Amino acid sequence: MTITQENGTAAVAGGPEDAAGGDRAEETARWRASAVAAVPADRAAAEEGIRLAYRSAGLAGPERVVWAGSPREGVTLIRRGTDFGASVREAVRTAPWAAERRRLHEELGAAGWSRRWAETGGALWDATQALVDRIRAGVLDDLAEDDPAARTEIGLVLLDALLGQHDAPWLAALDTDGSPLAGPALVCRSAGWWWPFEKVAVVCERPVALHRDEAGRLDHGDGPALEFPDGFALCAWRGMPVTRAFLDELRTLTPERIRQEDNAELRRVMLEYYGYDRYLSDSGAQPLHRDGTGTLWRIALPDDEPVVMVEVLNSTPEPDGTHRTYWLRVPPATRTAREGVAWTFGLDAEVYEPLKET
Amino acid sequence: MYRQGDVLIVPVADEAVPSHVPDAPKEPRDAKGRLVLALGEVTGHAHAVLGRGELVREPGPYGPFLLHLPEGGRVVHEEHAAIALPKGWFRVIRQREYVPGSVRLVAD
Repeated sequence: MTITQENGTAAVAGGPEDAAGGDRAEETARWRASAVAAVPADRAAAEEGIRLAYRSAGLAGPERVVWAGSPREGVTLIRRGTDFGASVREAVRTAPWAAERRRLHEELGAAGWSRRWAETGGALWDATQALVDRIRAGVLDDLAEDDPAARTEIGLVLLDALLGQHDAPWLAALDTDGSPLAGPALVCRSAGWWWPFEKVAVVCERPVALHRDEAGRLDHGDGPALEFPDGFALCAWRGMPVTRAFLDELRTLTPERIRQEDNAELRRVMLEYYGYDRYLSDSGAQPLHRDGTGTLWRIALPDDEPVVMVEVLNSTPEPDGTHRTYWLRVPPATRTAREGVAWTFGLDAEVYEPLKET
Repeated sequence: MYRQGDVLIVPVADEAVPSHVPDAPKEPRDAKGRLVLALGEVTGHAHAVLGRGELVREPGPYGPFLLHLPEGGRVVHEEHAAIALPKGWFRVIRQREYVPGSVRLVAD
C-alpha cells in the first residue's frame, strides 16, 4: 500500500491487511458514487447485468427488458403488467446475496464481518437508506395518497424492488467480482431500481437531479431535491419533506408571512431560507449578549417559543480576508453566546475553552 | 480542546479511557490513509487526522469517536487551517443545532 507524503509522517504500516483496507476504502468510495449518481442509465451495461444475474441463477433470462423513467413509473408498469410471469427476485438476488454473506461471515468470523461492514456498507447505509425510504414514501403519496388498499398493494411492489444504485451499501460489503453477485453489481453501477420477473425485467432510470446537504440529506431550496426524467420528484429542505408549492413560495417570503405561518417546522424552514441575518435586520432584533465566542440573538414569535441563535465567526478567513458568519439555533433558555456555542458541542459554558480554532 | 469548524476535539486523560477501548475494533483509514473524523457527503471535504494513530467508534458519553495519537498529529480540512494536536487521547464531538423537538447535526 502506498501512503503518499500527503500524510505528513507517512507512518501507516504497510502490511497486507492495511493494503486490503486501503483498496477497500477506494472501492467503497466508488460504491458511494454509484449510490448518488444522477446521470442517465448505461442501458446496455444494465441489461447485461440483468441477464448475467438471471444466468448466474440458472434462469433463461427475461424475454424483454422494459425501462421506466422512475420507481413511480416502474410500479405503475408492474401493476398494469399482465404477462410478466412470477417474480424471480429470490433466485436472482436474495439467494446469492445470502450465500455470499454466509461465506464471508464464515471466512472472516463475527468480529471480522462486523469490521468489514463498518469499513464498507456501514458508511453508506444511513444516507442511502434514508433516500430509499423517501422515494418509497414519495411513490406511495404520488400514486395513492388516500387509498389504503392501493397503498398496501403499491407498498408490496416497492418492497419487492431490487434497488440498483441504492443496493450499493451491501454490495460494497460483499465480494462481487466474478461472484454470483456480479450481475446485481453491474446493474448497481449502471441503473436505478429494478424488478426481475420470469419473462420481463422492469428497470428504472437514475435521477437527473440529486441535491443533498453535507450531512447527506435531501436539500434544495430552488426546485426538487430529487428528480427523475419522467418528472417524479421530491422536494426537501435539509432532509425535511416539503411540497412544491411551499418551495415556490419561499422566493417571495416576507417577515410578515413568516410570522403568520402556523406550522413551526415550516416556519423554521422559512426562516432558514429567508436568512436569519436578514430577518434579524428586518425585524429590528437586538442582540441579547456578546462575548469572545460570538453574539446571541433572540426573535420572539407569537404563540411559539422564541428563536434564540448564536452568531459565530468562522475562524479561518475566506480567500478575500473576510470571515464567514453563520448562525446556529440553540435552546430558548440560553443566556450567553458562550453558553450557546458550548451547547452546540454538548458542553457547559465554563468548560468550553478551545486552545485553537480554525 | 481544539476546534476545527463543526468538530471539537477534547483531550481525555489516559486513565479516563475505558479499559476496553484499546482493544476495540478501529475505524478504517480512508483511501488517502487518513483517519476521517467527519466527512461531508457532497463536497467530500473531511475533517481528517494525518499521522500515526487510531480512531475508535464509541457510543455513550465519549462517543461517537475516541482518537488516540501516540505521537501527536495534525487535523486537516479543505476549508479550515490545519491544527497540530499533541500526543494522547481525544474525544471527537460533532457540532449540533437546536431544532424544536429534536436536535440535528451541523455539517460544514
